[in-house]
Amino acid sequence: MKQKLTSSLKILLLLALTAVSLTGQSYPGKPKIIRCRSLEKETFSCWWKPGSDGGLPTNYTLFYSRDSEEEIYECPDYRTSGPNSCYFDTNHTTPWTTYNITVTATNEIGSNSSDPQYVDVTSIGKKGRMKWKTTSWRFQPDAPVNLSLETKTSANTMYLWAKWSPPPLADASSNPHVYHYELRLKPEEKEEWETISVGVQTQYKVIRLQGGVKYVVQVRCMLDLGEWSEWSSERRVQIPNGESPPEKPTIIKCRSPEKETFTCWWKPGSDGGHPTNYTLLYSKEGEEQVYECPDYRTAGPNSCYFDKKHTSFWTIYNITVRATNEMGSNFSDPHYVDVTYIVQPDPPVNVTLELKKPMNRKPYLVLTWSPPPLADVRSGWLTLEYELRLKPEEGEEWETIFVGQQTQYKMFSLNPGKTYIVQIHCKPDHHGSWSEWSSEKYIQIPTDFRVKDMVVWIVVGVLSSLICLIMSWTMVLKGYRMIAFILPPVPGPKIKGIDTHLLETGKSEELLSALGCHGFPPTSDCEELLIEYLEVEDSEDQQLMPSHDSGHPSKNTKMIPKETDSDSGRGSCDSPSLLSEKCRECHTLPSTLQTQDIRDVQENTGGKTSRETQHIASEQKILLFNNETTKSSTWPAAQLPNTQPPMFAYHSTVDAYKLTLNTANVNIAPVLVGNEEKHQSQYPSTETVHNDTEKQREMENLHSKTDQTTAQVKQNRPNDKSPFLNPKVMDYVEVHKVRQDEQAVLLKHKENSGKTEKYTVPGTSKEYTKVSTVVDHNIIVLMPDSCIQHTSVSQEPAMEVSPNLQQGQAEKNMSYSLTAPNECKRETSGSEYMDPSSFMPSFK
Amino acid sequence: CHTSGMLTPNGKEYAQKIPREELTHLILKLLQAWKEPLSHFNQHHQELPDDSLSKAKQISNMVHELKTGVEKSMGIISNSLNGMTSSEAAGLSISNEANMMSDSDFIHCFRRDSNKVQSYLKILKCRIMPENSC
Repeated sequence: MKQKLTSSLKILLLLALTAVSLTGQSYPGKPKIIRCRSLEKETFSCWWKPGSDGGLPTNYTLFYSRDSEEEIYECPDYRTSGPNSCYFDTNHTTPWTTYNITVTATNEIGSNSSDPQYVDVTSIGKKGRMKWKTTSWRFQPDAPVNLSLETKTSANTMYLWAKWSPPPLADASSNPHVYHYELRLKPEEKEEWETISVGVQTQYKVIRLQGGVKYVVQVRCMLDLGEWSEWSSERRVQIPNGESPPEKPTIIKCRSPEKETFTCWWKPGSDGGHPTNYTLLYSKEGEEQVYECPDYRTAGPNSCYFDKKHTSFWTIYNITVRATNEMGSNFSDPHYVDVTYIVQPDPPVNVTLELKKPMNRKPYLVLTWSPPPLADVRSGWLTLEYELRLKPEEGEEWETIFVGQQTQYKMFSLNPGKTYIVQIHCKPDHHGSWSEWSSEKYIQIPTDFRVKDMVVWIVVGVLSSLICLIMSWTMVLKGYRMIAFILPPVPGPKIKGIDTHLLETGKSEELLSALGCHGFPPTSDCEELLIEYLEVEDSEDQQLMPSHDSGHPSKNTKMIPKETDSDSGRGSCDSPSLLSEKCRECHTLPSTLQTQDIRDVQENTGGKTSRETQHIASEQKILLFNNETTKSSTWPAAQLPNTQPPMFAYHSTVDAYKLTLNTANVNIAPVLVGNEEKHQSQYPSTETVHNDTEKQREMENLHSKTDQTTAQVKQNRPNDKSPFLNPKVMDYVEVHKVRQDEQAVLLKHKENSGKTEKYTVPGTSKEYTKVSTVVDHNIIVLMPDSCIQHTSVSQEPAMEVSPNLQQGQAEKNMSYSLTAPNECKRETSGSEYMDPSSFMPSFK
Repeated sequence: CHTSGMLTPNGKEYAQKIPREELTHLILKLLQAWKEPLSHFNQHHQELPDDSLSKAKQISNMVHELKTGVEKSMGIISNSLNGMTSSEAAGLSISNEANMMSDSDFIHCFRRDSNKVQSYLKILKCRIMPENSC
């Protein structure tokens, strides 16, 4: 069975091989691990060399296992170290273990594995490499460096003193493993090395050396139980035998600390096995005389001190050192020196700090120092320049500040509370070198600056809290007002034309303007309007004009206190004679009139005259009368029929007054709705002219009642000017030339200039023609003369009333009908009511 | 150096011992001695780069100004004339020597003498006005 199997296997192999040989493809060759290296930290990499790839693309995989574990892992990282490498990162590296690594090459046909290699991953992190040692890869550190050799003589014996440094670590922070060292030396010509185990030290004295022989020395190291490094590079040293002259000494430097003396130092060479004497010889420029060093001691071994006497400036010294021993002597190279240029002073001394606190300024530090004691700055022989450097205690870099020749420095910009280190050094102002830095001086900035700031902040906090308290208190107490101030209440909708507030405040002008009375009394514009609409006829048609909305409450008030007709003393634009005057006067009417007119208007729905308006009007008229005694009340004269009554009214204070009273009294009942009593009570009070305010109040009362008339009033507004024409004015009318079928010329101011007088004063020589009715808006029916007089006399009140009526009619809806023109009577009762609202628009 | 023949104090003590006028004299002599060689140097070394040339000219100007300044500040006019006449003769011969110097020696000598002048002037200053940073 076995044989059969093996034979079959062989056959298979043969077949495979033949197949391969036929096709040229085979399984890959065996890869080989060439090296492993620790790169850094606790990682390492291995590289392998692939074998033949068998003609097909080949994959390489690396498998490893640790120590004696069974588990096999695959390479964690194929990429980092490049192709054909495997990188073991920190996670996959365990020190102090041996890795068993195998690389397998695989292609389509088959695979092939490399021989297993053992990698000792000890001491990963040290600089070195993995080296194949017998059976495994082992870590090998690098060789030691900086090997130096010196021959020394002590007690007539020569010995070699070797010194070196350990290999530099790749990772300085990794645990410092201890190296063991080994040293080997041999004479140059010989082949055998003498190896000496040194231990852990980095120096060694070699004794038992042959004099006069040149030796070669090397050293190597080892980490713990790891591998030895390679041998360091060779170093050769000549062992002086006791019979050689000393080596050439060398002069190191010469220095003058204060520009008055100077010192020179030299370095001896090897002494050739015998004690050596050193002598310094010098000569000056221009002189041939050679002198020897005056003082070998003051400045220490291997030095020469030239005191003041022996120091000359601006001359060049030629200095040499001679080493002498039993075998001979040797001279150093000559050293030329001019003392002027070799000055290197001592560091400054007495570095002191002072905190200065000037008024109104921030405190600052003053740093002071003194020049080195030996330097003679006072005579000016040596001038020093200073430079200081400072840094915060924890800081890294120094800040260098060149100070110049002054010996103090003010520091302003240091942070309080921090500690600073400061150092100073100096240099001659001409050629020379800087001194050493003075010893460190620590500056502690006091933190009391902060206290001031704290106080300020506390004060600020207290003040602000106080202010907040006050503000909140104010808000609480007067919150409403403030809110109202900031967020004013939303005004309610305003009815166009009437403002209740206006009425309340009693500003009749505004009210009137709100109502649409543009200018109380009406301006000359009225004239045109009136002229348009007024037509005087002789006919006795007593059709009453439809009620006109009296948009002229002002007129009403003015006109009439006396007349109970609806003609309430409108603006006198009608009257040509008085028109201009009146119009002018219109504006001067007190506002009370206006308000009263409004009241009037408002109240007189249905043609009622407002008592109060009359009243007030009377008062106003009285006032007016006072103002305009000479002028006729063309106010009402705007309406032909109205002219007289107002004139009537204004004519005499008393009369007017009476009229008002009468009319008031008469008209109280029908007029006032619900307020009769009040009015009555008030009326008597109106006797006093000074009760305007009461009247106004009455007005207000009435006003309040008659809100409904506001609409009418508004309507009447545009007609403010027109309704002065009261077609139904029954009373005195300024007589103009009247022609039938003509529009009222009455109102034409220009034409009737001559007759204006008639209007002004009743009882004058003017002609008064009573207007009986007003027809069709523009036709005034005049009463016959007889009637006029009659009526005027007999019915003084009536007359008084009638103008009122007329006016009222003109201005308001003429709801009442006058008696037949034939009769000289007029209705008084009904006509007394003035409805200003009815007057206005009808004319238009 | 062509000025080596001049007798100048070689140390601090000597410099401090000399009376003021003599020291001033010395300074002026030194400055005078360099006037001619410097101008000669400038003339004959036009091939130098521009900044060096300008530096050399600057230096000779400074020397001249320094001399004038010292003269004025010390109030020595007539004396210097006397002194100069005697030294000028010497100076002429000296300057001939100076012309023969090599450039490096020339510069070396000038450096030394300027240092001398500086030191003497400083000593003079601190002697006359000791309060001023002395």
